[in-house]
Amino acid sequence: MLQVDRVEVRFGGVQALKGVTLDVPEGAVVGLIGPNGAGKTTLFNVITGLERPSAGRVLLSGEDVTGLAPHLRARKGLGRTFQRIEVFSSLTVHENVLAAAEARRSWSRDDADPGRTASDLLERVGLLEIEHERVDRLPTGLLRLVEVARALASQPRLLLLDEPGSGLDTTESEALGDLLVELVADGSRSILLVEHDVELVMRVSSHLHVLDFGAIIASGAPEQVQQDPAVQAAYLGTSAA
Amino acid sequence: MTTFLALAISGLVFGCVYALTASGLVVTYVTSGIFNFAHGAIGMVAAFTFWQLHIAWGWPAPVAFLVVLLVLAPLLGAVVERILVRPLYGAPIGVTLVATLGLLVTLLGLAFLVWPPDTTRVLPRFFAGHTVTVFSLVIDWNQLLVIAAAVTVAVSLRLFFSRSRLGIAMRAVVDDPELAALAGTKPERVSQLSWAMGSSLAALAGILLAPLVTLNVTDLTLLVINGYAAAMIGRLRNLPATVGGALLIGFLNQQAVGYAPPWFNDYVSPAIPMILLFLAVLFIKGERLRAGSLQGLRMPRPPSLQRSLLSGAAFVLVAGVVGSQLSPANLAIGGQGMVLGVVMLSLVLLSGYGGQVSLCQLTFAGLGAYAMAKAGGGLGGLALAALLPAAAGALVAVTVVRLRGLFLALATLAFAQAMDKIFFLHALGSGSSLEVPRPSLPGIDLQDDRVFFAFLAAVFALAAVGVLALRRRAFGRRLIALNDSPAASATMGVSATSTRLVVMALSAAIAGVGGALLGGLHGSISNNDFLLLNSCVLLLLATLGGLFSPTGAFLAAMSYALFPKFQELFPDLGQVQFLFTGLGVLALGRNRYGIGGQLADAGEKLRALRVSRVREVARAAG
Repeated sequence: MLQVDRVEVRFGGVQALKGVTLDVPEGAVVGLIGPNGAGKTTLFNVITGLERPSAGRVLLSGEDVTGLAPHLRARKGLGRTFQRIEVFSSLTVHENVLAAAEARRSWSRDDADPGRTASDLLERVGLLEIEHERVDRLPTGLLRLVEVARALASQPRLLLLDEPGSGLDTTESEALGDLLVELVADGSRSILLVEHDVELVMRVSSHLHVLDFGAIIASGAPEQVQQDPAVQAAYLGTSAA
Repeated sequence: MTTFLALAISGLVFGCVYALTASGLVVTYVTSGIFNFAHGAIGMVAAFTFWQLHIAWGWPAPVAFLVVLLVLAPLLGAVVERILVRPLYGAPIGVTLVATLGLLVTLLGLAFLVWPPDTTRVLPRFFAGHTVTVFSLVIDWNQLLVIAAAVTVAVSLRLFFSRSRLGIAMRAVVDDPELAALAGTKPERVSQLSWAMGSSLAALAGILLAPLVTLNVTDLTLLVINGYAAAMIGRLRNLPATVGGALLIGFLNQQAVGYAPPWFNDYVSPAIPMILLFLAVLFIKGERLRAGSLQGLRMPRPPSLQRSLLSGAAFVLVAGVVGSQLSPANLAIGGQGMVLGVVMLSLVLLSGYGGQVSLCQLTFAGLGAYAMAKAGGGLGGLALAALLPAAAGALVAVTVVRLRGLFLALATLAFAQAMDKIFFLHALGSGSSLEVPRPSLPGIDLQDDRVFFAFLAAVFALAAVGVLALRRRAFGRRLIALNDSPAASATMGVSATSTRLVVMALSAAIAGVGGALLGGLHGSISNNDFLLLNSCVLLLLATLGGLFSPTGAFLAAMSYALFPKFQELFPDLGQVQFLFTGLGVLALGRNRYGIGGQLADAGEKLRALRVSRVREVARAAG
């Protein structure tokens, strides 16, 4: 689905990503963890096209999209949420999702009713009751769910989620986990998940990458990665076990 | 050869003046991060103050010169920084733009008030009568003074920024205000100093420019604005490039006088600085899409279609009744308010919903009026009055599509000013005017002023209902989404380019229809109807009224139309539209919702109150 091939990013003298390579297979949830400042969001920005890499390639379903504008990548089935919330603060919850569904209708041949799609998605993430609230009145945790619903409205084949669980309580976080598993269950969709809630990542991911100081220091099945001494030293510590 | 050299010298002189104004602009911009649109007006006010001290009160020139330059101008800059600018650090560009434009307009208003334009004022050249001859080339001392001043300033700035503690502190603040603050520099003090310096440099430019041209409030302001192009060539941070750009502008402008064909000098030469400004802005590196640019504005909810239709119908009905009672003079004022309301609605769409700043809405209005005149009226003429500006708007949008915020504002400023010089001055004739017919409807006599007034009210209502309908539909949501978060919009597959193009064209079309009807209302238009400075006033008033609602647009347009009425009441106040608007913006500019937004907010609160009361009553009863 997604291949990131030796991507490098420099900000002035700082090398934010040092030859990062990773794969997201179809129908899988792949976790990406690492300490703050490791380069996770930068990698997301490179994949979605908000940041140009100084070297390396990004391939979507085998096609090189490294030079493509963000909105064209979105049309190729790439959706994302943001770590620093990017909701449309002048619109209601429903309108936020609706705008994305309408955008999809305008660039795809899909003529599903956007209003219907938006309400269905909001029901799915559990926000239907507050769909007519303005988003600027909601707490951060719920805004992350608005972003998830909005990203889903574009019907992406690959969904990049940037810390969707932060700000959620235990029950909400569990519900989110269930939703993520459900989303990839039919095999048509993949998810790349950045998350600090280790329990959530461990539960839903089939594969895990650990990013530290701009480089992948470990990859593999969650249990396996958890045992990796380098990872424990860099990030998980002993408390995660 | 002599011609070339003589023109090179006068080009050098103008270039030096532009270099001074542009350097001042750059110094304030890099240090405080705020582009001072009022820079030109400060130069103008300084020149008039110098005239006041030196000519009217008879102070010796050197004393008056030093007092303005070293006392009054820095003081003005420091006070402006303290009162107007300091609360705005970190504010979005829309806010700082409105604030400094407000200052520009206030200073114009004050200048008109203190120095009424009915008297002719002349500043003699410095050292008049003294010349030197170099290789058969006569150079007067005034020219030498300008060149010497520019060289002195350039060298001092260079030394100041590289050698002095304060200058280095200023550069530190530019790089990282927080770090500089930790190191013991006070960013506010440094920024205040930069505004004082910038103001002083604007003053120097204004005073040196005034003897070369006529002492006229708007002309002088706009001339200083020519220097903005040089600042842009220096990308608003590089002083040597800025000076180079300034000299280039002066050189090109003067050489054209000697060597270009007459048509070029008639049409293009006066617009050279603005064309260069436009081009320089285009070469600015486009702002990258960035996450984390959340706006956090609360826009009022649009009313439902039914509700807006009802309000529209009621509006037309009331307007019809009121119109039947008005005197012919007041009817004209009311009609003016209606058509300007249509132009304001174009700003609601473009700036209110789309978040794009435009200083050229009246230019589009003027194009509409022009198209109407050439088409000879009728509904076809009205259609052309929408299409021509829409095409122009699309063209502008395509060229500036990467630009947002400040650079978009500068590009539209350059476009408006260049169109003034290249097109309107000739197409509408300076001093003369172009006849614009009214549209015609079968069975309705629009030549009758009262009927036409009701027609204008209907057009405004229709446009308002249309703008609100757009806001409620997919296009409106896309526009607001793009404004609230460009990054998130892109990840939904929304093309910012095509959306911005469509909204600019649509907005220009609405403004064009407004312009055509404005022409129809008065019977003719002149090149003075669509000037850049009036576009600024329009944008400011629309902001005051509230950019998010047609109600705000209507209130703003009516107050604009009523200015002549105020003028009759206070004939001594000079050009009241500048003074009133400017002071209004300075007082209320930080409220981004405007009066219309306040009304909508109050309405919402009232409704919420009523609902909660109904609930209370129900609870008590049940």
